[in-house]
Amino acid sequence: MENISRHERHEEILNAFEAALGEGNVKDNPVTVNAYFGDWLPPKTLGTSVPPEFVVLPNGTLEAQAVIKICNRFKIPFIPVGSNQWSMTSAPNRPHTVLIDCKRMGTIHEIDEKNMYAVIEPLVSLAQLHAEANKRGLYIGSPEASAQSSAVAGHLFQGMWGVGYRLGVAYRNILGIEWVLPNGEILRTGSFSQDADNGFWGEGPGPDLRGMLRGYAGAMGGVGMVTKMAVKLHPYPGPKVWPAEGHIPNMTSTLPEDRFTWDIVKYDDLEGAINFMYEIGKAEIGGVVQKWPTVYYIWWWANSNEEYWTEWKKRTFQDNVKNAVGVSLWGFTSSKQTEYEKRVLEDIIAETGGKRIKQEVFDQWVPRTANNWIRDTNGSRMMRPSGTFLALRLQTDTLDFSVGQVKTGYKWVDKFTPPILDSDGPDWIGGYDFGHFGFGETDFPVEKNAESLGDLMGKLLEMTKEDVQNGLENGVGPFLGGPYHAMAAPAFKYDKLLRGIKKAIDPNIVSNPPHQIPMDE
Amino acid sequence: MADNMILPKDPRYLKYPLEAPFDEEKVRWIASNCSRCSVCKWVDSWRVKSAKYARICPQHSKYLYDSHSGQGKCDLALALLDGKIKWDEDPEIKDILFQCTMCGGCDAMDKSIRDAELVKMYRWLRAEYIKKVGPLEEHKAMLNSLKQYDNVWLQPRMKRNSWAKDLADLGIKDLNKEKAEVLLFAGCTYGLSEELKGTVVNMAKILKKMGVDFGTLGDQEMCCGSPPSKTGNLAEFERLGKANIKKFNELGVKTVLTPCAGCYGTLRVEYEELGEKMNFEVLHVTEYLEQLTQEKKIEYKKEIPISVTWHDPCHLGRMSRPYVPGKDLEGVYEEPRNILRGIPGIELVEMERIKEYAWCCGGGGGAFTSFKEFAQWTAQQRLEEAKDTGADILVTSCPWCETNLRAGGIGMEEKMEIVDIFDLMMEAL
Repeated sequence: MENISRHERHEEILNAFEAALGEGNVKDNPVTVNAYFGDWLPPKTLGTSVPPEFVVLPNGTLEAQAVIKICNRFKIPFIPVGSNQWSMTSAPNRPHTVLIDCKRMGTIHEIDEKNMYAVIEPLVSLAQLHAEANKRGLYIGSPEASAQSSAVAGHLFQGMWGVGYRLGVAYRNILGIEWVLPNGEILRTGSFSQDADNGFWGEGPGPDLRGMLRGYAGAMGGVGMVTKMAVKLHPYPGPKVWPAEGHIPNMTSTLPEDRFTWDIVKYDDLEGAINFMYEIGKAEIGGVVQKWPTVYYIWWWANSNEEYWTEWKKRTFQDNVKNAVGVSLWGFTSSKQTEYEKRVLEDIIAETGGKRIKQEVFDQWVPRTANNWIRDTNGSRMMRPSGTFLALRLQTDTLDFSVGQVKTGYKWVDKFTPPILDSDGPDWIGGYDFGHFGFGETDFPVEKNAESLGDLMGKLLEMTKEDVQNGLENGVGPFLGGPYHAMAAPAFKYDKLLRGIKKAIDPNIVSNPPHQIPMDE
Repeated sequence: MADNMILPKDPRYLKYPLEAPFDEEKVRWIASNCSRCSVCKWVDSWRVKSAKYARICPQHSKYLYDSHSGQGKCDLALALLDGKIKWDEDPEIKDILFQCTMCGGCDAMDKSIRDAELVKMYRWLRAEYIKKVGPLEEHKAMLNSLKQYDNVWLQPRMKRNSWAKDLADLGIKDLNKEKAEVLLFAGCTYGLSEELKGTVVNMAKILKKMGVDFGTLGDQEMCCGSPPSKTGNLAEFERLGKANIKKFNELGVKTVLTPCAGCYGTLRVEYEELGEKMNFEVLHVTEYLEQLTQEKKIEYKKEIPISVTWHDPCHLGRMSRPYVPGKDLEGVYEEPRNILRGIPGIELVEMERIKEYAWCCGGGGGAFTSFKEFAQWTAQQRLEEAKDTGADILVTSCPWCETNLRAGGIGMEEKMEIVDIFDLMMEAL
């Protein structure tokens, strides 16, 4: 192997891929690979990502397995991608990488209405799954990556979705997984392990291995490729076709009022808002409960850049939705349930001292925007005002502890502003499982240019180091994947476990290094 | 308070930065602000009704690699402008830039999340490619035809108005000799295609039945400029566009009526880029006739008991209006539907992808002549979607859509009849 040239080696790998996948399903030409290394977050803008050497399109588990075995044979890194939005970790960070694109893996194998699950391939978008589930009286959620993103990836990564209050974290809705390990072996979890087509039971016989793959922020392609997944679906009292009126970009969505309501209730401080969220959880009412930061209101709402900045300068949202919580009540069983929940909500608002936001602001915002937290279509507007956004930190804890964490986030945002742009103190707090636990995130707009990002990225790394020194009590953003685990795993004492897993299943360190944890290469 | 806000330093983030003229700097802006979110690949999530019909981009759906999507073309634009890829370095550059049907599906979906103009970017890239590498072999016949005959179909000028040769009794005016406020602009394809000219005849008869005083340019009608515009041959587009505007102004017509969706989009949107004053309005014939339907000036005599589905031509729909940031992507959506609903016996059933999120027929942007297999594949996807509605026929009003959909239907097991809306109206009158 040492005696052959780089070109000969390239040709040898190309021939191997073509033999496995067929000629048209492997590409190495400049214009193809050029489309696979940028850019939502900074890598391409900062010049830290490079095009892959090959892009391959396997069709199904066996072809994905063949690709990964070839990568092992030649000891070349590979990155499996779904909709490929998360470029910070899915863009190659080193030369000679193989990008496994799942464009030929977009089948919904099954929707079992009775047992409420779907079996999907990685290209299936959340919107596709929503649409098929809704037709059958079922639903799932979507994260703020918008519903055009991969449903498999949306369940593996982060899993902070609008309906988390009701359905829990997205990854806990995973049932079966068919998964090609980095060494090329196929692993099936849950009831897939007994019957490759049957995905009703997540736990399955034997140990539950899902945790190897996901973790809170996913493995970032560091532990192989999921080729098929069974996910839970849930009863849905809405219409079979998602209601949408108007034309792009001015669409509105209103679900039937006897089954779905929206209220936005504000408090004097963040603590009051979180107390309200706890009380709603205790009463077990509602389908969506979210404390959005002010900037989210305008991110999702504005239909043009001019409208965005004009409205922001008017302070419509800063003056009206600070410390406000959005609540959507769902009449799962009947309109009577909706009526009951409305009365409970009224009592909670009265008891917690909440006030509804001004009606004109509510009317301005809700029809255009609110239902994105059930099926998101405007999430990519987060990049509108300045080209990109960043998340300073992301922490998971109890709801009340999230308050302290986002407040620490304010200080960092202030410290780094500018280049961070005006955002009125980003503090997204959501709860899972009726408030059993929560999360906080501090997102803010940043201008997408090397000058602003370069400076900021250095500062963020300094912040992360400081957070780690503080025992992670302030939370850090785990979006960095491997580098995050390199810092955090020793602090939380899970580094041996993670390295042990990686070593066992990825002996050649080919699965998107340095994720999910850096190894000696 | 507002004065103290930390706002973007680059003023282009504060308002729509893509006003004419369109140039390299604007291409770079659009491309560098692509966030790889993939909305350009899918129907807007709120409008997805099934997994089967969730895609918006024919080119990406067929060729799968991201290089063949709006996002990929943004990446390609940056690489070309930065010199990282040379214009003639990779033969696939030509395919990526010119396969695209310029349908604007990606462009419309992208406008849901940012101020961008993907189709304008594609057109600019095509023009640059032609400057740097030369015109496409596949376009040369069209360009020669335009230079020699002012039409795209290599037909002598004397045949331009032959569709009207048997209509002397209708009293259609020759506006080179007589005055009328309404000019009927048939377009190259309706006017010169043996297969389609019957549709223009029917449309002219309908207009006359409605008492409309209109005329044509006879054999002096020239191509609107759509094919050279879409294929990046912008000098030829400019020549034709400016000549047409001058002619229409000189004749003093108040309304230019066209039955062709391609002509309509070009006259309404792309002519604005020429910077010439236009003393006339441009209407698609369905807009004009729908108004008469509303005024009950159309009396149908025959019932047509069938179910129909309407295919929105891209240049009659999402590509038929200049983009106004933040405003609806308007188009001629309701007018043809209202006409169809007004025909006795007709039941209108909708496909899943309609209006600004309609799937393209596949025939636009030069694909019909240069990338036939792809154009027909795209048509087959549309025909399958039409069949899934249970409709008896597919109705539209674009000569390119009709021709390409018919070509795509050849060899399909289940046939779907494609009918022009004016032929259907005539049958009921």
